[in-house]
Amino acid sequence: MARKPGSSPMSKSPAIDHELIRELARLLDETGLTEIAIERDGVSIRVARNAGASGSLARQAELPVAVPSVAPAAASVDPTQHPGLVASPMVGTAYRGPEPGAQPFVEVGSQVKAGETLIVIEAMKTMNQIPAPRSGTVIQILVEDGQPVEYGEPLMIIE
Amino acid sequence: MFDKILIANRGEIALRVLRACKELGIATVAVHSTADEDAMHVRLADESVCIGPPPAKDSYLNIPALLAACEITGADAVHPGYGFLSENARFAEILAEHNVHFIGPRPEHIRLMGDKIAAKRAATQLGIPIVPGSDGGIGTDDEARRLARDIGFPVMVKAAAGGGGRGMKVIRTEADTASALAMARTEAKAAFGDDTLYLEKYLERPRHIEIQVLGDGKGRAIHLGERDCSLQRRQQKVWEEGPSPALNTAARDAIGETVAKAMRKIKYLGVGTVEFLYDDGAFHFIEMNTRIQVEHPVTEMITDIDLILEQIRVAAGNDLALAQSNVKFHGHAIECRINAENAVSFRPSPGKIIHYHPPGGLGVRVDSAVYHGYAIPPFYDSLVGKLIVHGKTRSECLMRLKRALDEFVVDGIETTLPLFRALAQEKDIIDGDYHIHWLEEFLARGGMEP
Repeated sequence: MARKPGSSPMSKSPAIDHELIRELARLLDETGLTEIAIERDGVSIRVARNAGASGSLARQAELPVAVPSVAPAAASVDPTQHPGLVASPMVGTAYRGPEPGAQPFVEVGSQVKAGETLIVIEAMKTMNQIPAPRSGTVIQILVEDGQPVEYGEPLMIIE
Repeated sequence: MFDKILIANRGEIALRVLRACKELGIATVAVHSTADEDAMHVRLADESVCIGPPPAKDSYLNIPALLAACEITGADAVHPGYGFLSENARFAEILAEHNVHFIGPRPEHIRLMGDKIAAKRAATQLGIPIVPGSDGGIGTDDEARRLARDIGFPVMVKAAAGGGGRGMKVIRTEADTASALAMARTEAKAAFGDDTLYLEKYLERPRHIEIQVLGDGKGRAIHLGERDCSLQRRQQKVWEEGPSPALNTAARDAIGETVAKAMRKIKYLGVGTVEFLYDDGAFHFIEMNTRIQVEHPVTEMITDIDLILEQIRVAAGNDLALAQSNVKFHGHAIECRINAENAVSFRPSPGKIIHYHPPGGLGVRVDSAVYHGYAIPPFYDSLVGKLIVHGKTRSECLMRLKRALDEFVVDGIETTLPLFRALAQEKDIIDGDYHIHWLEEFLARGGMEP
């Protein structure tokens, strides 16, 4: 599968803050909670204790599980297979609004009509408005403001 | 030196360029169509950008997409490979306008050599011998007939905007002239958008011998010897070797120096190949290709010089580090272009390679982007890979070639490997006694029939 620009084989996932995870794990133990989730700088971390019977073996402390994730990810369904997927028709930089940093055209939950501008992709100083191919609700936004995109890059899902 | 090179090509040449970049410590960006997502060079590159759907015009020829890919990756140079946009002067200019280096000659030289009539005129001015022919495009049919009579039939009519073996027709007698010209004009217009034609004497049994050159754009240029590419089918090279069995050291040095001197005069930048028809001891310039060529490994094997590395170095503004005296030829090399085609009918055979074992060992090089399990897409050329073999002598090279061909396994698709196995046994090939029609004559008389 093509690798996205800006990433290298060495940095397929964001840097893992081991200190933070250790801290959260300690908190988990101290407080007896089963799950702690935090979000910071676009990185969300969830540390959870797996409930489980261990049979005749002596009970072992379950290791907390850290799950780093980047973009606001919704379902476990592969977005590229979703019939409502809107994929990028060009190479460029995606902007959520009419200008960098402006109010986004749509948010998750927005109702859109076919032809309405969803997102703008800029290439060589030209802003290209990407229209909604069908009417519906935006259920997932898969790119961030200012993110470089390639041809076929999943942008949004409209149901 | 460049920080990041965007490789605007695909297949084996994209992998070849990637290798040179890695050795130079330059970051790589692989651009690809959706059909090439699993290409080897895409997997190995530092970054990749999908630039469009399979058709070349929407991807590898899509200049806006390539520019946008440069923009989002911050590439400071583009290597165009061969084919596609490698000889597109406009592309080179557009890149320059966007402060991206084009790894190739200056646009003016791309244009000069892209116009085959202007190229011939330039060659004459630079002291390079040409094929006798029309001085410029031919006008009326009567003019053409008169000219052909002067040159002497048979003559060849060629498209000025053509090249690479396309847009050419032979006229054997005066009676054929009118219809041949009409057909040639129509084809030229359709294929190249320009129906300007020129005439040349048709040489019956020449060899195709080309000279590799390298210049730094500042007046320094060297030649790296010749490649004999006479074995062609439908004007597409199939087997190339160097040195040519037909040349001795004196002949090589003479034509090499003539060409190098011409490149110094025009301050040529980058690699290039000056192609000749060699007939009866005389060289006749036909065209110059202002890019790296498919068969460049033949030269690399006999000179030990990495042409892509040198190409990148001079493109980055470095002076030519090699003098003519640094260029030494040792041994002999042969390259076989292996296509995904039936070896008898040449019908294309795209599909999945279910078993792949390339030959190896001393003096064996395989430049190929295919791998075990790779599916050859049907949208592009059918080149599976190039097998290049080197030996201390031509005999040793031929023996090694036979061994390597026998060891080469490509299952799941049909390839032209059987053609090369047959050629390696042919007396004329073993004797080095062939010309540009030899292969087609061999095929026509059933050379490949069981």
